Amino acid sequence: MVHQPRSGEDNSNAISARDWLTPGRKCQQRAAVFAVLASLLWPAQAGLVAFALGGLLTGADVSPVWVACGFIALGAVRAVLGVRSESLAETAAQRVVHAARADIVSHEARRASDSPFGGAGSISALASEKLDHLTAYITRYASARARVMVVPMVIFALAVWFSWAVALIFLVSGPLIPVFMALVGMAAKEASQRQMAEIGTLNDLLVERLSALVDIRLLGANKTVLEGFSAQAGDFRKRTMAVLRVAFLSSTVLELFAAIGVAMVAVYVGFSLLGALDFGTWGDPMSPQVGLFLLLLAPEFYQPLRDLAAAWHDKASADAVFAELSEWSGAETASLLGQGGSASPLVGPASVSLRGCVLPGGAVLDDIDVMSGEKVALMGASGTGKTTVLRMIAGLRAPVSGRVMVAGQPLDNTTADPWRARIGWMPQAPHFLNASLRHNLTLGRGKDPAQALELAAVSQVVAALPQGLNTRLGETGGGLSGGEARRITLARAIHGAPDVILADEPTADLDADTAAAVTRGLLAQADRGATLIVATHDSNLAAKMDRTIWIGGRS
Amino acid sequence: MTALWRIFRLILREQPTALWRGAALSCVVLLMGAALLGLSGWFITAAAAAGLAGMGAVFDVFRPSAMVRFLALGRAAARYGERVLTHDATLRALESLRVRLLAGLVVAPYPRMLRIRGAQALNRLTADIDVLDGVALRLVLPVMAGLMTQALVFAVIWALIGGAVALWILAGYVLGGAVIFVQATRKTARLSRRAEAAAQAFRSRLIDLIRGRRDLAVQGRLLAQSDFALEADRRRRALQGQQDHAERLTGAALQMLGTLIAGGTLWLGITMVQAGNLAPSLAALGFFTTLALAETIAPLRRAASDLGRMAEAARRVSRDIAVPLPTTAPAAATGGPLQIQAVALQRPLSKIPVLNGLSFEARSGEAVALTGPSGSGKSTLLLSIAGLHPVAAGRITLDGLPISDWDEPSLRSVVALLPQRSALMSGTVADTLRLAAPNSDDETLWQVLEAVQLVEVLQARAGLNTAIGAGGEGLSGGEARRLVLARVLLRRPQVLLLDEPTEGLDEATARAVLAGMRRFLPDAAVVIAAHRLVEASFADRTVSLI
Repeated sequence: MVHQPRSGEDNSNAISARDWLTPGRKCQQRAAVFAVLASLLWPAQAGLVAFALGGLLTGADVSPVWVACGFIALGAVRAVLGVRSESLAETAAQRVVHAARADIVSHEARRASDSPFGGAGSISALASEKLDHLTAYITRYASARARVMVVPMVIFALAVWFSWAVALIFLVSGPLIPVFMALVGMAAKEASQRQMAEIGTLNDLLVERLSALVDIRLLGANKTVLEGFSAQAGDFRKRTMAVLRVAFLSSTVLELFAAIGVAMVAVYVGFSLLGALDFGTWGDPMSPQVGLFLLLLAPEFYQPLRDLAAAWHDKASADAVFAELSEWSGAETASLLGQGGSASPLVGPASVSLRGCVLPGGAVLDDIDVMSGEKVALMGASGTGKTTVLRMIAGLRAPVSGRVMVAGQPLDNTTADPWRARIGWMPQAPHFLNASLRHNLTLGRGKDPAQALELAAVSQVVAALPQGLNTRLGETGGGLSGGEARRITLARAIHGAPDVILADEPTADLDADTAAAVTRGLLAQADRGATLIVATHDSNLAAKMDRTIWIGGRS
Repeated sequence: MTALWRIFRLILREQPTALWRGAALSCVVLLMGAALLGLSGWFITAAAAAGLAGMGAVFDVFRPSAMVRFLALGRAAARYGERVLTHDATLRALESLRVRLLAGLVVAPYPRMLRIRGAQALNRLTADIDVLDGVALRLVLPVMAGLMTQALVFAVIWALIGGAVALWILAGYVLGGAVIFVQATRKTARLSRRAEAAAQAFRSRLIDLIRGRRDLAVQGRLLAQSDFALEADRRRRALQGQQDHAERLTGAALQMLGTLIAGGTLWLGITMVQAGNLAPSLAALGFFTTLALAETIAPLRRAASDLGRMAEAARRVSRDIAVPLPTTAPAAATGGPLQIQAVALQRPLSKIPVLNGLSFEARSGEAVALTGPSGSGKSTLLLSIAGLHPVAAGRITLDGLPISDWDEPSLRSVVALLPQRSALMSGTVADTLRLAAPNSDDETLWQVLEAVQLVEVLQARAGLNTAIGAGGEGLSGGEARRLVLARVLLRRPQVLLLDEPTEGLDEATARAVLAGMRRFLPDAAVVIAAHRLVEASFADRTVSLI
């Protein structure tokens, strides 16, 4: 797992990128070594071919079997080294991506509220598809960069050994390539950033339209929406093509430079072999073997540079991902108390007291004391903090200042998990996990949920579902009516007979019969001896409690 | 596989000329590459031979070297043209695929529309289209161009060197390439499907973790959910590892194939030269051409590893793309009554029966309230009247014609439904309203805003230009509810169906909004799924669904 520094504003992009890559660094370096070694075998293969074809001209004794076998054997070694290098690079990439994912998961599990970076959709997009872009960067761009550092130098040295003229051609044409690439790169970067922004906009647009499908259809707005989207998609294509044109143009120019370099070497070698040129070597006239060898080497001099240019796009998208990662890691929120793991229940009475607590909005809360077995309603106008108080009692967020005491002990990181093992929780808007209804009810706490369903007056509804307890519900309870989903949440809260029940607006938006059923279910828990705290607007429900605590003054 | 072929045919039909030209140019690029290397090898060897023989002065250097320059520059130019042409054509085809996908989803059956909601499905739909750009660019075009190149080079080598060398090269590359490709796809298709499933599981578990964070924490399941999500990623990682391994082996096999064929050509060439049947320069030509031909099989590696993902994406996308709707003559609305006759219904997405034997009628200018506890079928009935949900028994007719016999555009022009939950898209208030009636002038928009009591609220902001964020951000719940009601009113339907229209409004506003709605549409037949007294008491009649 990576623990990169999160120092806020001064958390510069470059530092973050390097930190995210740390878990794969070793493998990445070894991959680069193997990639370079594989590339360096080509001069040996080229030497063999030059020796054979040159030998045919000079009448030397050339064994076809040995030459062919040598060529193939060297090729096999090169293939093996290549496989090894790719394997290491992929391991590096997997490590980096997995570590980043683990980091995202563990940080998201510690947050007390949603990240300012974005909702579940954007974070999961970052953690899944976007992180995958790093793989191409690590496997292709990094290896090409390593080869650029070494291979042209070695080939240049070999050229110098045989012919200073060929070396001169390399020396002149080689450095021109990076210079030109830098120029093109600057133009391309801007175009690419515009296009990246456009990708985001277009996807957001599609996402929005897809989630409004029913409305679009009901409003008969199909044509309007499709025309609008089509225009946007057209714009997007034009921008993408603008980026691609720059990229293609730059690789074309590279190819031209390489082609001109190779052609110059070929012409020089050809004229030398004909005897028309007699300079450029160290004394002796050029032999056919040397000529062929130099010609075979020339394309390989330019190849790493071309690979690097081709992988440029991978670098650009990796940079975009690093930027998002650093934005994500800079988005800090308050943390949950405890870890949210299972624990054995905290010992002590089921009582709660809040002393001098200040809410995140700055409002100061009157002290609250709830005794074991009491039934209490929290009431107050919307926005005064009823829900926040329930969350503070459950240790889902800490007060700005002040103390929360539970079971006679301060609620902190060590007591939060054991305390929550005693709580039944009924939120206002439940999220149903992408799992069976049974799992959603019991959450792995093995017992049969039948009794809880009975108490929540929802057994018949579950029995009527096409697959009963094995049904998968939609995220917000799709497949059930609002009232039924609420009663399922009640069943989940009372499953396992907890001795503290916290319920947030348990009867809001329900018709009278359903509200009465939910109220009965909650009261039955209190009769059993559980402490009951409900945040509510419903005066009927509040009247059935022992007392009402007003938050933010009586309205 | 059939889906993949179908998608390719769609892309081809969108951009036939550009793609054919692109294919021809890719072939030209490969041919020029082979010719360039072959000619250079021949030129150097022949020049060396002439030099050794003392014939250097009479050797024609100018035509071959001009040819080399032409091939080098021409190849770069052809490659640029080919890339721009095929990418542009593919992007155009994908653009129309995206639009057709959206068009198909807008008219999808209602239960399917419900399942489409949710960020996961949305991500899939965008990512799937992106994967499909490889169908033409990385699969079909390179394979076709490679085959054409091999065929032409075969003829040339046969003529210049001989049948044995030509056959060795052609058979080696085509048969060898085919065997490696088939082997590679057999393994990777299955692996990529499973890796994809694991990646999906990770995504959905992470979404559950983030959305259900508080619930999970209270139940002590947060750590377990983190492990659960990471476990999916570990599975994906293992599968990805196997897939990468298979891809590497494919790559190495293709590279070895190239080396083997080149080595073989070298051996055949040397033997023929030593037997006096071939000039050394032509042996060099054969060897260099063979080396260059490795470029024809190189794209197979990427094609084989992407094939599984592309096939899956093609399957999902081709299921959803629009089938052009038959256009029928729109039925003329006559203002006849809406009649519900002995209707029985089942809940969407299940077989649970809700209503049975319900009958009532709603005439022009009349308001009917449906009452009953939650789950009694009020919303389902409204969906059925809007033609989005089938009736299990009985009939719903409008103007005497069963709802199911109305064509979509005509039905939408006479029936409008305000569902329980509506989505707002980002834009201005005017954009939102004009979605329902694109040709409305500002005055009409202010009239409908007056009806839903939003005039004061909006005048205090930027009027019709007030910006709305994604999902209705910037508006309170009650304001958003009134704005979507205004949008429905602008449709000026003959039958107006309202599902809990005053949800989130205080009683005085609710009453004013309902009265404003009636003033705006005095002649519409209104059916309200009522859950509040204020809605039921507004109606002329109530129908109880118990």
